[in-house]
Amino acid sequence: MTERKRITDIHAYLEQFEDVPGTRVFTAARARKGYHINQCAMSLMKPENRERFKADERAYLEEWNLSEEARQAILDRDYNALLDMGGNIYFLSKIISTDGLSFAEAVSSMTEHNFEDYKAMMAAGGRSPEGVRSIKGKY
Amino acid sequence: MARITAGIASSHVPLLGMAVDQGKTGDDYFGPIFAGYEWTKDFEKQEKPDVVILVYNDHASAFDMKIVPTFAIGCGESYKSADEGFGPRPVPDVEGHPDLAWHIAQSLILDEFDMTIINEMEVDHGLTVPLSMMFGTPDEWPARVIPLAVNVVTYPVPSGNRCWALGEAIGRAVESFPEDLNVQIWGTGGMSHQLQGPRAGLLNREWDNKFMDLLIGDTDEARWIEHIEYIRETGTEGIEMVMWLIMRGALGKKTRCLHRHYHIPCSNTAIGHLVLEPKPAG
Repeated sequence: MTERKRITDIHAYLEQFEDVPGTRVFTAARARKGYHINQCAMSLMKPENRERFKADERAYLEEWNLSEEARQAILDRDYNALLDMGGNIYFLSKIISTDGLSFAEAVSSMTEHNFEDYKAMMAAGGRSPEGVRSIKGKY
Repeated sequence: MARITAGIASSHVPLLGMAVDQGKTGDDYFGPIFAGYEWTKDFEKQEKPDVVILVYNDHASAFDMKIVPTFAIGCGESYKSADEGFGPRPVPDVEGHPDLAWHIAQSLILDEFDMTIINEMEVDHGLTVPLSMMFGTPDEWPARVIPLAVNVVTYPVPSGNRCWALGEAIGRAVESFPEDLNVQIWGTGGMSHQLQGPRAGLLNREWDNKFMDLLIGDTDEARWIEHIEYIRETGTEGIEMVMWLIMRGALGKKTRCLHRHYHIPCSNTAIGHLVLEPKPAG
């Protein structure tokens, strides 16, 4: 076994993640910030909660310890804004399922493409990592 | 004596489960994906594994943010399919193997891997989609399953090296179980995909295939790949590939590739699939 030196300093480890364009890595800081957003989304795994949410989204969201900004982002299905507030896509996916949307359609709403163009990009091999690996390194 | 006879890697995209449940596996979109699993379905019919140790990640179904275990092993009798927001998948209950699971759990803790024990939970597409891919649509699953859930959501997730070492320890634990059992270990998730932010839709055929190459033969290079490399090269959700390393570690020093399949795209994701067998070094 050829042992390699790994980054074990937590500050250096976390700093790397801020260098990836168009990406929010779900760090502990984001997990703390978005805790109630994610738990609220999770609650939609129960059919009775989905029914209540669908009947009156605003009233459902009032029951949760969320900022007004977060409530509005959920009402708007503004997933990029929710990511900025500490939302994580695995949790937010419960909202996508509740809406009966395909995952790809919801994911496409976070990109520069509409759904049709996004599907075409995926069919053609997806987004290339070329140029979007690193902000600082520009590669 | 129990022995690990094969390791299988596979993506676990939820859309594949829907394709199975809605009978679309032969259509133009899904046909080429499922064709790459036909070989494995035949292999499994011949091999008839008694137990599958199924390494997967829970997608915020059994665990929410209240508790985030890094490595958790299912020691329960059986597990039901989770409701992920559109009703539970109509698949058979997953039967556990509590004797072997508890043996592995105890052995791992003695071997300094501080496992979380799960007695009751529901299992989501991360676990049931691979079962459908490898076994099709039987009335009951033909093998017992030991779920091994890995946190690949909240950072830091476990390092590649730690995952590989856990696999090695699982290998040792299985070998010390007295009952004669044919055991497989499956590593699921991946390959390249990013489901979030403006960079969503990233795929990387070249890197994914290089990663598959590194799981074959006697190299252990893949255990040293840093998290940042997975994210830069394969997207945020590509990090799921560390779970393949648990499977690879459990197969010992050297492997032989029996079957390999790669397809782009399935929804937002690159599909990768490997069937490996352990090979004595030499």
